[in-house]
Amino acid sequence: MEVTRRKFLQVSGATAAGLAVSGMGFDLKPIAAHAQMLKTQYAKETISICPYCAVGCGVIVHTSRKGDGRVINIEGDPDHVINQGSLCSKGASLAQLIENESRITEPMYRAPNSNTWQKVSWDWVLTEIAQRIKKTRDASFEKTNAKGQVVNRTTAIASVGSAALDNEECWTYQALLRAMGLVYVEHQARI
Amino acid sequence: MSKSFLIDTTLCTACRGCQVACKQWHDLPAEETVNRGSYQNPEDLSFETYKLVRMKEEIVDGRLRWLFFPDQCRHCIEPPCRDAAGDPAAIFSDAASGAVLYTANTKRLDREEIIESCPYNIPRASSDGVLAKCDMCLDRVQNGLEPACVKVCPTGAMSFGERDEITAKAKTHLAGAKKKYPQAQLLDPDDVRVIYLTAYDPMLYHSNAVAAATSFDVTRQVALRRMVRPLADLISRLS
Amino acid sequence: MTNHWIDIKNSDCILIMGSNAAENHPISFKYVTEAQHKGATLISVDPRFTRTSAKADMYAPIRSGTDIAFLGGMIKYILDNKLYHEEYVAQYTNAPFIVNKKFKFKDGVFSGYDPKSRKYDKSAWAFDLDNNGVPKMDRSLKNSRSVFQQLKKHFKRYNTKTVSNITGTPEKDLKQIYKIYAATGKVGKAGTIMYAMGWTQHTTGTQNIRTMAIIQLLLGNMGVAGGGVNALRGESNVQGSTDHCLLWHIWPGYLKTPRASNVSLEAYNNKWTPQSKDPQSANWWQNYPKYSVSLLKSFFGDNAHAGNDFGYDWLPKVDDGKAYSWLDLFDAMYDGKIKGFFAWGQNPACSGANAAKVRKALMKLDWLVNTNIFDDETASFWRGPGVDPAKVKTEVFFLPAAVFVEKEGSITNSGRWMQWRYQGPKPMGNSLPDGEIIFELGEKLKTIYAQGGSFPEPIRNLKWDYTTDGTYDPHKVAKEINGYFLKDVTVKGKNYKKGTLVPSFAFLQTDGSTSSGNWLYCNSYTEKGNMAARRSQEDAPNNIGLYPNFSWCWPVNRRIIYNRASVDRKGQPWDKQHPVITWTGKKWSGDVPDGGWPPMLMADGKPNPKSRHAFIMRKHGHGQIFGPGRADGPFPEHYEPLECPVEKNLLNAQRMNPTAPVFGGEADQWATCDPRYPYVATTYRVVEHWQTGVMTRHQPYLLEMQPQVFVEMSEELAKLRGIKNGERVIVSSPRAQLEATAVVTRRFQPFKLGKTEVHQVGLPWHYGWVMPKSGKEDSANLLTPSTGDPNTRIPETKAFMVNVSKI
Repeated sequence: MEVTRRKFLQVSGATAAGLAVSGMGFDLKPIAAHAQMLKTQYAKETISICPYCAVGCGVIVHTSRKGDGRVINIEGDPDHVINQGSLCSKGASLAQLIENESRITEPMYRAPNSNTWQKVSWDWVLTEIAQRIKKTRDASFEKTNAKGQVVNRTTAIASVGSAALDNEECWTYQALLRAMGLVYVEHQARI
Repeated sequence: MSKSFLIDTTLCTACRGCQVACKQWHDLPAEETVNRGSYQNPEDLSFETYKLVRMKEEIVDGRLRWLFFPDQCRHCIEPPCRDAAGDPAAIFSDAASGAVLYTANTKRLDREEIIESCPYNIPRASSDGVLAKCDMCLDRVQNGLEPACVKVCPTGAMSFGERDEITAKAKTHLAGAKKKYPQAQLLDPDDVRVIYLTAYDPMLYHSNAVAAATSFDVTRQVALRRMVRPLADLISRLS
Repeated sequence: MTNHWIDIKNSDCILIMGSNAAENHPISFKYVTEAQHKGATLISVDPRFTRTSAKADMYAPIRSGTDIAFLGGMIKYILDNKLYHEEYVAQYTNAPFIVNKKFKFKDGVFSGYDPKSRKYDKSAWAFDLDNNGVPKMDRSLKNSRSVFQQLKKHFKRYNTKTVSNITGTPEKDLKQIYKIYAATGKVGKAGTIMYAMGWTQHTTGTQNIRTMAIIQLLLGNMGVAGGGVNALRGESNVQGSTDHCLLWHIWPGYLKTPRASNVSLEAYNNKWTPQSKDPQSANWWQNYPKYSVSLLKSFFGDNAHAGNDFGYDWLPKVDDGKAYSWLDLFDAMYDGKIKGFFAWGQNPACSGANAAKVRKALMKLDWLVNTNIFDDETASFWRGPGVDPAKVKTEVFFLPAAVFVEKEGSITNSGRWMQWRYQGPKPMGNSLPDGEIIFELGEKLKTIYAQGGSFPEPIRNLKWDYTTDGTYDPHKVAKEINGYFLKDVTVKGKNYKKGTLVPSFAFLQTDGSTSSGNWLYCNSYTEKGNMAARRSQEDAPNNIGLYPNFSWCWPVNRRIIYNRASVDRKGQPWDKQHPVITWTGKKWSGDVPDGGWPPMLMADGKPNPKSRHAFIMRKHGHGQIFGPGRADGPFPEHYEPLECPVEKNLLNAQRMNPTAPVFGGEADQWATCDPRYPYVATTYRVVEHWQTGVMTRHQPYLLEMQPQVFVEMSEELAKLRGIKNGERVIVSSPRAQLEATAVVTRRFQPFKLGKTEVHQVGLPWHYGWVMPKSGKEDSANLLTPSTGDPNTRIPETKAFMVNVSKI
């Protein structure tokens, strides 16, 4: 991946530096603000596509090379032929979607009749889910329907989602659901 | 060469990308708001909101219009706030861009006087008295980027560039707009670096859309400074 | 979209109806604005004046749920005033086809209707065939049984007065809009439609779009630059997730989910492969078996072979005539028939119609898996308003997903452009990319089923090798979706090595020698590389904004589909300024043509038998003005929504769509013309939030701008109900009550239906009790009914009845 041509403005005097300020009365000389460094100056740049509506606007993601390597800025990609650098209010706010303290970053479990979540591990949660699938699937599996036709399915497990997945994830997910024998498979396209 | 903006409100869809991009770039916090029966939120500019898309519903020529006005500092060519402050360490115009900039030293100014001096009612104070407003994203401009609000704009309602390019563009946009909106006009184009184009009477958009007739009237102190300025310029050239 | 976002700039007239593009697809306005700048007219038709209306040259109000009446009036206007593109209609559409005498329309129903099953026997809508089995045609369009004459007859009733009395749109507005839009029927002019859920979420959703498709065919606007029928899809990858068919009724690439009666792969292929006897019909779906077998090879790899029907039996079958759609799914869950449930990147507790029923249904589950990036109303339903956690038995697993910038992969936009995204930061904390979670879950299932279980074959045999260095690798899946040659083969005289990527779907085979996870995406990741990652900013020589080497689009990078209809029969573009394709005498230039066959006529004007009809995906090769495949009739007809403010349909004897599914359980209450619910309501979105708001309500910047759920209403209605702007009110429907802030605005006006005044209100559906923290902002879908379109079963969330009251 390579971010190519950027539309730089023609700027004259952008590097003018030196703030001549007397601090008293009023100044007799023109003042130039100190040249400032961008907060994105040393960040890693990657390109992506906005996750909201389906216009498919390009964005540039600035990720810090320091510390925990988190996102410090996201803005429109001027080299993207559709949005040409522009974004709407949701797109302009994208950094706040990612660097958000409300994000859930650990698998969680809520036991029957419990009033609380508990933090669990990935291995535990995926093993437990796989066991629930097997139990429900095996108990409900229909090899034939009422007419005696081969159907090889379960109607006791259902899935909804998701248009928020990447294409490759969608394909992988539908393959797994169909291998499990699900027919109740739906997602956002229906609603 | 100095910079200017054109804000062609006839093209603004009030997507408010500019309002958010401004906050995002400046790392400004969001305000706690409620829905007051309007889409416009926050209600007004503040120490934490430099850019605000104002929205008004008006009947013009018998038709409903939803008027959008992305309000911000006009970066006046002769900024009354700067002159009222008389303290270049607090408020100054950047020579290269023409940006009117506020520093933390605004704390020591008479805040009421500064706010009062602005013909567009822009500056806002924090609780400790520091004043703030749009800074033209000077860090971006100095590094060859457009201000965050301009770059984000989808329809071309906002543009930014060299003053002569923008004034020329403003005239072109005005000529185009007049075909659809005979009352279209540029707001105070000779006095400000942020030139608005409205389709109708600017007062329908916002009571401070144009400088009030008396706004550029100045205090004696300011008048004195202005009288001295040509001399100051001469001195600076000599030095 | 048949066209794409940038192409909007080529339009002469843009109709935005059933969508609110300025707010929900804001960057589309870059191109709407550009078109307007070049002289195009923008028309906004919406129940309320929106930010789109604010930029429109012409705005007209419409009562929710009456779009067919509005557009049917336009069809009548076009026909009465002969404003259609005659050559296009006669040559490229099925207007000249002769309809069988059994076809009739009376008292609001078409022939073949069975009131008991509320279904049609569609055999009554057939075309008359000649001795060769080809539809009989009268290209002069004069035959009284021709589709064209039947269309005239059908829409004769749709005069502007009747239409106005139904829609509430003033007659003068109707006439003006009809005139402006119909002017695009002139050769060389293009009109486009930008629609979204405002059209689909109705009991007449499919036919809303059919009505517009008929208009576009009459005006010659299909296939041309600046034209088309453009669904503005609402999620970044809802196009891709539909293409890959996370839906009950279709398999990747819009293949059919097998019915129980499709007892073998052969029976399945025979059933779903259309046959045309017309040698000039490309009938592209004749290739169906190549796509289905290649898909099975992707599902099961080497385990699928001719000897076992390529694993066809391992995949689940649905019962004939039964639906397993959204409304059906939650109805079954409500009845306790579903025990386990995945809500993967979706929040049905807020997003589905009749969300109150959905929330109750979730309590019947044994277990629920929710994958998301924030907590949402689905994952936490057990602690929702009025719910006692101690009484909810459901086990809930929450899987924290990485955000889009924390992973790599592709998404497909509304213009069918597949675009590759790259990883910036690593996933936060212990969150994981969805692909990794899915893959690991598959591994666990394979491990468990290796030890036995019911019918373990499909799980054991599922091809599941999508890792590099032990981690899920999206490139491997993207290649599988494109497909491989599985043997050394020679196709069209060229040799292809086993293990290499298939160049395009024209190379797919029925014998198992190729794989392709989705034939539509075959050509997206080839030996030339990852086509979706391309970034060239150069336009094609025809200079209409196709950008053919920027990303990749399906099918085979064709940017405007049905583009063979953009040229006359000699292959010359109708619109010389914006040519999509042009026949140079030897080949096509411009966009990737809809098949490389030569034009219908040779240079000397003689028919070219090597040519094919323009609409290659249709069995008979013609655009369908008469659509005999739809569940509710071959022509659109106006019916009122399930819940409406009028006792009588002014156009026919049926109040509502006689084929629409209506659920009648205790949680499915509905009421029409009921004085307790006197106001029409609709739902919508605003630019500042997205869908149920899970991704946006947690963002302070977005919440700052739109902090609370609101209900918009006219000043007149507010006065009537004693409501002040900005105060909290109760909105109630037969299903639920919702507290919301009143936004009293001139942007809503009462509708005049003849002498009756009808009020309408509208609410955004972005909210839920989890966030904002007050817990008082909840989903507008608590109010919406359990009914939907008979074709798609998309719920009718855009027109229902409510009351609004002071608290």
